[in-house]
Amino acid sequence: MSAAMGLHFEQHAPRPRCGCKGPGAAGWLSSQGYRVPAAANSAELDPAGVLVARLATSEFLLEPIAGNADRVEATRAELTQRRQPVTVYPVTRQDLVVTINGDGLHALLRQICSVDFAPLLAAAATGGGPVVLTSMVGVGIVAWPRLIEVAGGAISPAVTLWCEPSYAHYFWNTLLEVGRDLASVTTGSKQ
Amino acid sequence: VSRLPPIAGELIDRTRPVDFSFEGRRCTGFAGDTISSALAANGISVLGRSFKYHRPRGLLSAANHDVNALVQVRAGGRSVPNVRADVVAVQPGWEIEAVNTRGGVSADRLAFINYLSPLLPVGFYYKAFHNKWLAQHWERMFRHLSGLGRVDLSASRRITPKRYDFCDVLVIGGGPSGLSAAVAAAGQGASVLLVDDNATLGGSGLYARSGDAERVHLTQALIERVRAEPRIRTLTDTYAAGYYADHWVALVAPECMIKVRAGGLVVAQGAWEQPAVFRNNDLPGVMLASGAQRLLYGQAVMSTRRLAVLTANSEGYSAALDALAHGADLAAVLDLRDAAGPRSRPAADELARRGVPLHYGVTPIEATSRGGGTLGGLQFHSTMTVARPGTSPDASVAPGAAGIRVPKRLDIDGLWMSVGFAPANALLHQAGARMKYQQDLEQFVPAQLPAGIYACGKVNGVYGLRERIEDGTDAGACAAATLRLGSTRPRAPAALPDESPTHAYPIFSHPRAKEFVDFDEDLQIKDLVNACQEGFDSSELLKRFSTVGMGPSQGKHSHMNALRILARVRGEPLEQLGMTTARPMFYPVPLSHLAGRGFTPERRTPLDAEHAALGAVFMPAGNWRRPEYYAAAGKSRVAAIAAEVEAVRTRIGIIDVGTLGKIEVHGPDAAEFLDRVYTARYANLKVGMTRYALMLDEAGVIIDDGVIGRLAAESFYFTTTTGNSATLFREFGRLAAWWGLSVGLVNLTGHYAAINLAGPASREVLQAHTRLDLSESAFPYLALREAAVAGAPCRIMRVGFVGELGYEIHLPAEHATHLWRALLATGASHGIRPFGVEAQRMLRLEKGHLIVGQDTDGLTNALEIDAPWALKLDKPFFVGQRSLRILGQQPRRQLLVGFTLPAGAPHAPKECHLVLDGGDIAGRVTSVGYSPTLQCCIGLALVKPAVAAGKALRIRIDGGALVDAAIAKLPFYDAAGARQRQIA
Repeated sequence: MSAAMGLHFEQHAPRPRCGCKGPGAAGWLSSQGYRVPAAANSAELDPAGVLVARLATSEFLLEPIAGNADRVEATRAELTQRRQPVTVYPVTRQDLVVTINGDGLHALLRQICSVDFAPLLAAAATGGGPVVLTSMVGVGIVAWPRLIEVAGGAISPAVTLWCEPSYAHYFWNTLLEVGRDLASVTTGSKQ
Repeated sequence: VSRLPPIAGELIDRTRPVDFSFEGRRCTGFAGDTISSALAANGISVLGRSFKYHRPRGLLSAANHDVNALVQVRAGGRSVPNVRADVVAVQPGWEIEAVNTRGGVSADRLAFINYLSPLLPVGFYYKAFHNKWLAQHWERMFRHLSGLGRVDLSASRRITPKRYDFCDVLVIGGGPSGLSAAVAAAGQGASVLLVDDNATLGGSGLYARSGDAERVHLTQALIERVRAEPRIRTLTDTYAAGYYADHWVALVAPECMIKVRAGGLVVAQGAWEQPAVFRNNDLPGVMLASGAQRLLYGQAVMSTRRLAVLTANSEGYSAALDALAHGADLAAVLDLRDAAGPRSRPAADELARRGVPLHYGVTPIEATSRGGGTLGGLQFHSTMTVARPGTSPDASVAPGAAGIRVPKRLDIDGLWMSVGFAPANALLHQAGARMKYQQDLEQFVPAQLPAGIYACGKVNGVYGLRERIEDGTDAGACAAATLRLGSTRPRAPAALPDESPTHAYPIFSHPRAKEFVDFDEDLQIKDLVNACQEGFDSSELLKRFSTVGMGPSQGKHSHMNALRILARVRGEPLEQLGMTTARPMFYPVPLSHLAGRGFTPERRTPLDAEHAALGAVFMPAGNWRRPEYYAAAGKSRVAAIAAEVEAVRTRIGIIDVGTLGKIEVHGPDAAEFLDRVYTARYANLKVGMTRYALMLDEAGVIIDDGVIGRLAAESFYFTTTTGNSATLFREFGRLAAWWGLSVGLVNLTGHYAAINLAGPASREVLQAHTRLDLSESAFPYLALREAAVAGAPCRIMRVGFVGELGYEIHLPAEHATHLWRALLATGASHGIRPFGVEAQRMLRLEKGHLIVGQDTDGLTNALEIDAPWALKLDKPFFVGQRSLRILGQQPRRQLLVGFTLPAGAPHAPKECHLVLDGGDIAGRVTSVGYSPTLQCCIGLALVKPAVAAGKALRIRIDGGALVDAAIAKLPFYDAAGARQRQIA
């Protein structure tokens, strides 16, 4: 372990999130008042704190990353009740969501993922930006490189990961195992 | 003492002595010493024994491919075999031993094998095994005698990380050309990763000095520029072991493997110096000149008292000047050529001026040994000798009485060889480069390189120091320009050589042989000639039959010489022979690096903690963790499983089936999509109903099964088997795109939980938690309903894998624990019991339901499982349909049948036990177990149709005993399906 580096792993508490998919998904989300990313594999964070991530071309993930869970919950309920015509349909999301930051972030990402996050983190912002659909430690994930505010008001590069829940136990423990080999690790949970 | 006074640029720290032992002898070196340099400084020149003949061997190249310098190192309670003494730095306290000896390196009891060499011809291993009776004897003997080093079986596992890295330009090789390439690429804005397998950058620019300080200064200036350039990162002690597609290169660093993805690649790996081949060229003391220079300038070691240089190029003269500059007693320079070339001439003149005898037209006859088996002298012929400056060459042909040339002899204990090079072009080959043989270089050079890949320096056929720097600068600039960093430019042609660095045929046979071509495998000239004469006369065949190039050094010092011999035997130009493939990994890689940290994802259902609390004994199922059974106080495993079966048959059981693949398909073509993927018909499936689903591959082989339910006109929900969900989801996506159907697929496997409630009391227990009408008329067998259960939104399917009234409840994972607990609480009064995989397997076996992958194999087609009701061959199309039609015209290969053993049978078969028919294998048992319900052993077997048509199976069980089983009609239990269908 390199005592000089630090890593913080924060597990997000379960909260309403939902996905939707279909040829009419983008239009439907717009009609619901969401800011829809124009490009595939990118995200928009609207002023109300809801992240809309466009996964590939016609699938979306809605995450109340900075509040407004009620709105996402209402959207989920609305989606679930829709049946015909099938141009947009719900995608149940029960993911484990983890945000990692710290100066050991690059070293960690280079051990767990074959994607080069360095240019993505260098260009990251506090709002939306690119999202990456890839594999980490053998598990398919969605990654959102971004900047977060940490203690003292400083801005830190971070990556938020969505992982299918059946892998949650393995994914979390493996991230910590690799992280502890590299850096001083702290953990927390985000409500 | 072989240690010289301090030399500028030496890598050792003379203030930090390092104490260690070799073969029990106490030794002292310095920090920065390699094992072999420290041993040389202690006067030890015999480092190991050769692989086959157990001949004493010493240092050859000091360049990471000295097979005879492999050692066993004990330190810190660990014993590590096959440490490369020529490059690994010695550490305090190390206890070092030679490998491949019996009784130590100086008194190896197997040294007598050297005298048996006439009995061990080429291909001996293959020929020995021709006699099947003697083969066992030979195998035992070979296993006993061969093998390098001893693996420490008590060693604990090292978790070695693997990591990825990225750069614009990857430069492999930190010599002058690689350094200049890195500087040039970075200068154009590229991020550069510079990799070298040595401990320091500089390569031959630091050790091939020719006594000329300017050469070192040029290289050091490049190193300083590299260090000052923020865009360049460097990795030393790291070698590129393999090239893969799209500029993906495997780097082996001291502690881990690094997978680098580069935008462009510059290969500047130089060239491996090649030995001359003559009798006894393997005696300790005979080494490559570049290896000697590495020791000289790296660790200030020169272990010879009297030295000669055997050469055929300017590099040999440079080495001679280096030796002279450090006080060597240089007996002679022996040039294989008739005269020094233009690049060699200045050094030759300088040597002659300093009184060093120069012999030309040299033919080595043999090296001779002195006490201890090390070099004592060299016999040779020469056609001309220059004895001192200003004298005329005198003929060395001594006109004896019969006019026979009299061999000359030098008494020396060191011979440095510099007769040629082989380009380190393995990575270029792996990348798909096309090579050509350049006659004036006697070397293969790149003729055509893949896009984004550049070669420079010696591997590109450029040998002069300044020319290499220019070549590297051009290659680096081009690599960056390819990535649109800097202006595009054509690659400058390689500088033309004014003197070949490589002799065309530095190979000299001797009537008494022992002229070694391959030091790894103890191969002599005659071995390769004989192999050719036996018909193995192509480069690939020669390699496999003789094993040339198949040892630890992978032919780095033997491949080119073997090709030259092959060319001469065949009477063909070398370039027509072709080269063998240099596959990755081309360098030794520790197994710990290859294994690395294992990422083996394990999936858990949301009910995992519930199972643990209930005493579950877990088992792997695919990549899931599932309860095998639930331990019960006072009950054995078998009894606990039997109790679980009994609960389902008589009361109620509950099982977590969340591992099933759970997929939705939506869209106007959803039914059409399912009709094409699965064998049954789904276009006519009513909303709210389910149907069995069987999936085949194009050959008609069963690959999966599940249940499909219709949620709405254009929406279906279906399951796959536990192990196949991820693979099939990808395949569904591929098929949908290929067919151009308007469908959308959603994989809910991990996001949804699934619970199966089965048994006579299941309706009553479930009804307590839902307003849904569960009556037979409202919710019949195979129906699908969406409703709230215990407040959770659920999809409920009335299906029965276990053959009882049952409900499979699917719901979002977040609600699973609540529902599980609620059902257990309500079911308590009915005697509910959770059951695991083993009980489920027995319950379905009693019903004769097959498990895909267990009761089928990679060849079992859908006609062999007796399920015609699942096959709608009259549909327009489904995957595998055409094959089934063809197979339907042919006799069956095998059939799935049920069997029973009489109650009380003393011996039961196990899965995979063979079914015999008159002594021939006629099939195998696929599932078997003791049925608590039927009170006998039941099973399924895939057997030949003739056997299936009979009444009994003869099964060979453990120990070879035979048991007879009666073929039984399926299912074994509730043949009418009355219990699951709830019909009277």
